[in-house]
Amino acid sequence: MAELRENEIRVLTALDKLDGQASVEQLMLEVELPDAAVMRAALILKENGLVKIHAKPETKLKLTPEGEIHAQNGLPERRLINAVIALGGKAALKEAAKEAELNEQFAQIALGWTQRKKWATFDSKAAILQVLSTPKEGNDEKVLQILYGKDNITLDKLNPELQAAVEMLKKRKALLAEEKTSRILELTDAGRQTAVKSSLTVMMGKKEITQLTPALIISGNWRNVTLQKYNIAAPVANIWPGKKHPYLSFLDEVRAKLVALGFKEMTGNSVETAFFNFDALYTPQDHPAREPDSIYLVKYPEYGNITAYEKALEKIKATHENGGDTGSTGWGYKYSIQEASRLILRGHGTCLSARTLLSKELQIPGKYFSIARVYRPEVVDKTHLSEFNQVEGIVVDENLNLRDLLGVLSKFAQEVAGADKIRFKPDYFPFTEPSVELSAYKKGLGWVEFGGSGIFRPEVTDPLGIKAPVIAWGLGIDRLFMMRAKIDDIRCIFSQNLDWLRKKELV
Amino acid sequence: MPTIDIDYNELQRLLKIEINDDIEKLDDILSYVKSEVKLWDKENGIVNIEFKDTNRPDLWSVEGLARALRGYLQLDKGMKQYIVDEAELDVNVDHRLKDLRPFICCSVIKGIKLTDSKIRGLMHLQDKLDKTYGRSRQKTSIGIYNYDLIKQPLNYTVATPSEFSFVPLGFSEKMTLAEILERHPKGLEYGHIVKNSSIYPILIDSEQKVLSFPPIINSNDLGRVTEETQNLLVEVTGTIHHAVINTLNLVTISLIEQGGKAYAATIHYPNDKIYPSKLTITPDFSSRSINLDVAYTNKILGLSLTSNQIAELLLTAGLNIGTTSELAVEIIVPCYRTDVMHPIDLVEDVAIAYGYNNIAPRWRDLPTTGAEKVERRLINLSRELMVGSGYQEVLTYTLTNSENLFTKMNCKETPIVEVVNPKVATMTCLRNWLLPSLMEFLSNNKSVEFPQKIFEVGKVTFIDETSETKTRDEDWLAAASSHINANFSEIKAVLDAFLRNLNVTWKIQAINHSCFIEGRSGSVVVSGESIGIIGEVHPQVLEAWRLENPVAAFELNLNKMRKNVNTV
Repeated sequence: MAELRENEIRVLTALDKLDGQASVEQLMLEVELPDAAVMRAALILKENGLVKIHAKPETKLKLTPEGEIHAQNGLPERRLINAVIALGGKAALKEAAKEAELNEQFAQIALGWTQRKKWATFDSKAAILQVLSTPKEGNDEKVLQILYGKDNITLDKLNPELQAAVEMLKKRKALLAEEKTSRILELTDAGRQTAVKSSLTVMMGKKEITQLTPALIISGNWRNVTLQKYNIAAPVANIWPGKKHPYLSFLDEVRAKLVALGFKEMTGNSVETAFFNFDALYTPQDHPAREPDSIYLVKYPEYGNITAYEKALEKIKATHENGGDTGSTGWGYKYSIQEASRLILRGHGTCLSARTLLSKELQIPGKYFSIARVYRPEVVDKTHLSEFNQVEGIVVDENLNLRDLLGVLSKFAQEVAGADKIRFKPDYFPFTEPSVELSAYKKGLGWVEFGGSGIFRPEVTDPLGIKAPVIAWGLGIDRLFMMRAKIDDIRCIFSQNLDWLRKKELV
Repeated sequence: MPTIDIDYNELQRLLKIEINDDIEKLDDILSYVKSEVKLWDKENGIVNIEFKDTNRPDLWSVEGLARALRGYLQLDKGMKQYIVDEAELDVNVDHRLKDLRPFICCSVIKGIKLTDSKIRGLMHLQDKLDKTYGRSRQKTSIGIYNYDLIKQPLNYTVATPSEFSFVPLGFSEKMTLAEILERHPKGLEYGHIVKNSSIYPILIDSEQKVLSFPPIINSNDLGRVTEETQNLLVEVTGTIHHAVINTLNLVTISLIEQGGKAYAATIHYPNDKIYPSKLTITPDFSSRSINLDVAYTNKILGLSLTSNQIAELLLTAGLNIGTTSELAVEIIVPCYRTDVMHPIDLVEDVAIAYGYNNIAPRWRDLPTTGAEKVERRLINLSRELMVGSGYQEVLTYTLTNSENLFTKMNCKETPIVEVVNPKVATMTCLRNWLLPSLMEFLSNNKSVEFPQKIFEVGKVTFIDETSETKTRDEDWLAAASSHINANFSEIKAVLDAFLRNLNVTWKIQAINHSCFIEGRSGSVVVSGESIGIIGEVHPQVLEAWRLENPVAAFELNLNKMRKNVNTV
């Protein structure tokens, strides 16, 4: 037999004391433990064959607030009768009601009951009540007194006559009857024997303690008690630690990898000029990507200030119009400087690369990256967001070539995506030539388009005064995150679901 | 990115391959021209293909696509030659079109046998050229007519809004130009191109019959092409001459590919320097020649190809070769390759024909030092401290609306950065504080277990006339606690712990902020400057967000804090 713990022993001995049979409520009072603790002990005792548990349905009775008033002041009909007697055994209904402090509504109800209980005669024409003698206390009144101020009376404690009265009071909304299952514990023979032994042990042995207290530690009294063994398999409450956002943690990881690979971070404003977002990247001013259904246009202020870039602007204008000094044909249209200064919400992070190339801070050799929030006028759905993050950047050095570009992509595939295999395909961007798409294969996840890149066109670098080749790259990190996090809805990245964030594992 | 419907069986026939529904195999082939299968409509034998390259209109028909791919599949070598016969049509151009829509190019196609599928392909090509290459008909627009119904010479001239009336395509009643702009679907769609002028362009024949109202709509009488039509007139008008001629070339070539014989037209332009010459013959199938430097090609690709190898690869890519020396290769670029702007474009063709996956990647260890932006230091410390205080980090959109920023927050409106073209009413501007984003988040989680403690470090944007972009982004931090007993003291304790750990001495100054309960809100003051706010959110604001639990929150400007925090 398993060793019994203190609560179980207490319940067992209490049950023995209560003649081997008692309800959980009785035991609660006897052992001074809460309901749940007694039940837990009872279940363990049952498992050990020491007690039997009988479930007994019972009806608990309780007065309603109205019933309590009746119990205190008497039923309305009793109060009416008493008032008539006080007024000399015969009185007008109105007067009697006033004497009894009953309002009109209650007076009518009370009158009805006096008639039903045959306590008085009523002359309905003259509205006069007459009482001959004080009526005996009714069963309903007895029940009210029994229940008044108590909440542990069950229906079976009342005799059949009183039980009938309960029904009537229920209809009068004076009391509530609640069906409950009461649990009765009964000691088995084995239980009885154990109880005797146990009571001896409890008397002779150490006291069993649940919570170790400072007092016990300081006094050293912990030596004289037994620390209760817990059911360590019992479930516990949920707690929700503060956590970083899973997607932002992922971006932290990507950022750390890029820094480790020697890339410097670039940042910039969400609002950008078309000059850096498009023109400097050789995107013609009538290109569909600049249409209002592809890029957000700022309402006010409409135009930025690009006067600081006058020299580059002149060259970019010439390049767009006729190729300028770049050896290109150009796009062959009339370039507008006003259109170049149009303010937009940046549509890609490549504008930051263009800014870096034009900056005095540019270092050659140089490696740069940005993690930038970008904006597109898309309707948000399972596969589209109207704002999202792009990871991209540049590598600039003399003598870089397509092999180096493929090398950069391979490194990203290994270091950032942990790819097993990679594949390159021709790609297109208005600002790079040649352009390469990177696909990465990961076991269990399959092929995923992981990056786009290229060497900036001469029409981009020449007007910015850059003679060295520039490799531009971008990584499809959202897709990678979604695969890792096992989500197929891109909206989860900006999830508004706290429950999901709380439950999302860190790995 | 343009997507084109292609006749699947015709593509198989032209490429001499059986793809047998193997979309991956088709994708592999299509990757040579930077495109891939988007949809595969087996029932109708149509494959919808997406082209990444917006600059290759020569690929936007089954003939054009096959022409490019046949080289890579070793079925053809070099470019394809197309012949146009001598001019047999004259077109006079009115000088008043100079500032309106100055250019027109025409060709005549004879003896063509059109089928339903071919007409659909032609319409599809026309539509894509108008939309993408023609920038929604602004730059170029195409018209195709039954040549047998037309009496030449044609007059490309101007008309007042009510001068002419004709039956527009798809209609049965005559309409004036003004009525077309008002009522015809194409008039409503493209009318803005011509509307701000008092005269409109019009194309008529010698008997004053209207061919079209460019770039809006063709005539229903002359512009309807059916399977019975044998002789066609193709016309392109536009604002940029080379774009107009390129478009005409592409449509004419496509019709030659389908068995038609092409004849040229003579365009009689007025005397003005904007026109190429007084007499211009169209279409123009002449090719260009570009000298490709061998050393330049190898420098870009990191290969050591000989001039012969380069020549061979470019033949595969569908270009012709002129004279070749050890140092350079003369490349003949056909008229339909309008995308070639610079020798670099030919270098890429060399690389694609060589095969990207045949080039060995090389990682160069450049002597650079990686680094995060210094601003990230405070951002990351802030996130760590908030997480340590038991707050869940959230990520929300910076795009929002003024109802969220002001109305629901019980605040007066202040200038914000709005967009002209919102896609949805809930995303019309950039936020200028973070707390509304957190309130919205809480309002979406009313049934999730409390207490709810959340924070975000994010960007907010302000108008700033002194800046280059007339705006300024700042990094802010906001935190909110919501539960049955959320209160000021609780959030103040979190803020105090936060600032203490960043070694920032701060004071609180009572303020009245209509978003917070009076007497329970304050300004966070550091070195005499306010860097943020803290308070218990006003029940009116809670009601606006339909929140049932109290919320206590603070919001800090990290940009201002940086001055007081030594993070190095």
